[in-house]
Amino acid sequence: MRIPGYLFFLGGTLAALGAGWAGFPHVIYQSRPQPVDFSHKVHAEKAGAKCEDCHAFRDDGTFAGVPTLDKCSGCHAAPMGTTQAEKNFIDGYVTPNREPQWSVYARQPENVYFSHITHVKLGGLKCEACHGDEGATDKLRPYQQDRISGYSRDIWGTAAAKGMKMDDCVDCHRKHGFEHSCLDCHK
Amino acid sequence: MFTPAPWRLITDTALWSENWPGIPRPASGEIKTRYTHCALCPAGCAVRARLVGSQPVALMGVPAHPLSLGALCPFGLTGHQLPYHPERLKQGPEHEASAAVAGAIAQCAPGERIAVLDLRPGRTASWTYRRAMAAVKNGVYLTAPQPLEGAAVNLAAARTVLSIGAPVMEGWGTPGNVLAARAGFRLIQAEPLESRTASLADLWLRIKPGSGRALALSLIAQLEGKAMPAQAAAETGLGESQIADLAGELARNGPALVLAGDDVPEAVPLNRLTGAWGKALMARAEAPVPDSWKKAAPPAGLASVPDGSIRALLIDESVPGDYIPWNAIAPKLVPGNPVVVVFAWSRSGYGRHAQFTLPAAVYPEMTGDAPAAIDSPAAAFRIFTPLVPAPSGMVDPAVFIASAAGIDASGALRERADAIHKAGRGTLFTCADVKSRPVKELKPEDFWKALNEGGCWMDAGWQAKPPAPLVEGTRWQAKAPASQEASELPLLVALTDLPGSAGLVSPLMSKLYQESNLRLGRNRAALNPASAAACGVGEGAHAMLQTVLGQRPIQVTVSPSVPPGMVEVGASPEILDICGAFSRARVAQS
Repeated sequence: MRIPGYLFFLGGTLAALGAGWAGFPHVIYQSRPQPVDFSHKVHAEKAGAKCEDCHAFRDDGTFAGVPTLDKCSGCHAAPMGTTQAEKNFIDGYVTPNREPQWSVYARQPENVYFSHITHVKLGGLKCEACHGDEGATDKLRPYQQDRISGYSRDIWGTAAAKGMKMDDCVDCHRKHGFEHSCLDCHK
Repeated sequence: MFTPAPWRLITDTALWSENWPGIPRPASGEIKTRYTHCALCPAGCAVRARLVGSQPVALMGVPAHPLSLGALCPFGLTGHQLPYHPERLKQGPEHEASAAVAGAIAQCAPGERIAVLDLRPGRTASWTYRRAMAAVKNGVYLTAPQPLEGAAVNLAAARTVLSIGAPVMEGWGTPGNVLAARAGFRLIQAEPLESRTASLADLWLRIKPGSGRALALSLIAQLEGKAMPAQAAAETGLGESQIADLAGELARNGPALVLAGDDVPEAVPLNRLTGAWGKALMARAEAPVPDSWKKAAPPAGLASVPDGSIRALLIDESVPGDYIPWNAIAPKLVPGNPVVVVFAWSRSGYGRHAQFTLPAAVYPEMTGDAPAAIDSPAAAFRIFTPLVPAPSGMVDPAVFIASAAGIDASGALRERADAIHKAGRGTLFTCADVKSRPVKELKPEDFWKALNEGGCWMDAGWQAKPPAPLVEGTRWQAKAPASQEASELPLLVALTDLPGSAGLVSPLMSKLYQESNLRLGRNRAALNPASAAACGVGEGAHAMLQTVLGQRPIQVTVSPSVPPGMVEVGASPEILDICGAFSRARVAQS
């Protein structure tokens, strides 16, 4: 039986669309695990920690970002609990005083200037507005990096969080009437 | 086309191209603030540096600083780019130079000398050179001639300022201090070209090139009530009545301060007659030094050294200073095989003439100190705290010269700071908390720590002492040109100051200023359209600037702001080597 030509075309189109929509994201990103099995949820619920307790602003208003080991060691000088993750953290980082090499999901490219304090303190934005529900997760996602550009996948947006592309910033600024100039971010 | 794949590939490829090798990447890390002082000129302005991680990314002034008052010139603002200058020396024959100097010291005959030429005297390194030369047989410490014979100026006390070619508004003194004092005095600028200072002055007197001395002598005669020297007025290009009016204004609206370069030594006696002496002009005060240093060699001028007598000459060109043309230095060297060692950031200055050019750290890598600037009546002491470490292979001139002389100068800065602290005078200003504290209230350790964090010591209760008498031979005399026939050399040379003795300017600034012709570059000359036409050159033409001392390739800029019959050139070392103060030249197509 002769297969109609349009079926080949249809099949090819579907295969191409499947590859483009479903296969491509798997190919373009490479994943790597975070160095420590960290739970935001445990810290928020059991330790009562708020975002700014660890992701603090310095006295001069700059954002300290991911806390350094000093901050962790303040509570974790000795193991807190008996989990394997805690043991690994103490043995692998706290005891040898080795800084974990975190991969920052929201790291912006070098040509962008972003002020956390302007957005959080002045603009009153919640952390979740950009970072999604990261603060409530029980496990850190693997970090996904674009093989070509080197950017984090979170810049483009994920199912969990809105993207942090320039268009996303512009949309929000436009919505709130803060559309000033390119130099606000590209100094 | 209907999936994200091709569009993402296009975007990603564009982003990928931003990360190619060789593309500069901004530093990342914690943003920090550090304070230091600028080493690019003797003003030593206070600098607030913004660092990302350990990388300085922006320099700015310190608004509350009592000496620099928050100002920083364009060269200082871009100082953090200097370590990346393409002409920078990375290595040099240190061991060979050390052996050659040791050999020269050992073989120095009774009539011969071992000399250090210091282009910026008054620093702690300068004291090390003086101590080293005192420790060496036949050692002599030479300095570049200082404007106004090394006196200090109090601009705030002047009601009139007559500047004979001094770039008062463009790098002379401490920029912040000059700008702050500017409203309090009437500025009269006498110079051949309409410089930036001339354009900002209350009155610009266009005098002929090289006629500064004639103007000073004419004014002295007028103020003393004597007849004006014959031809002096004609030499300046001003009328006798104009000079008489100027003298009258200086006498009426005093204290009237007369500023000039070292080529007008009459400026000092002129200041006596105008009433500036002891009020707006006074002896330069110096920060205390340890008692053990006071047996150092005294400063001497190049003219005081006999011709053919310097066996070994060590030149500290690591900090920009006044360039003495090589034709004034070369006759002082012994014939045959003198040892000349230069410490410099590039080979564009004295390195062109030296046997050994050793690489020196540049600001903001270098450690050193700044004495009081010319416009600071009180003694001061500030440290250039490095913002970035110097690369390996850099040679510290003070350490090299001290080692050659067999003295220990490794802790000289600390010793000087302790001596200042021991004297117990003055106050310490700290930038971080914007406070001044009496030195007496500080412990030596705290004083030293604060100095290294950008602190500034200033003496208190300065007294307006008259300047010290002239030291014989402190003025260099360029070798007189054999003949300067106007027919052969039809153009008068007007030199425009360049920052630093050897063009130590940020590569970015060089591009902005020089390629856009906002400021004459090192090898550019400006001619009036009529003069350019007479020379047969046009805009952008490559030509030769010829004087009786030699020739240099130049690129021509045609500018109606240059009077006919003159050629304006940037005073780079290459140009200064062939142009004296009053040179004639011709421009010919190359």
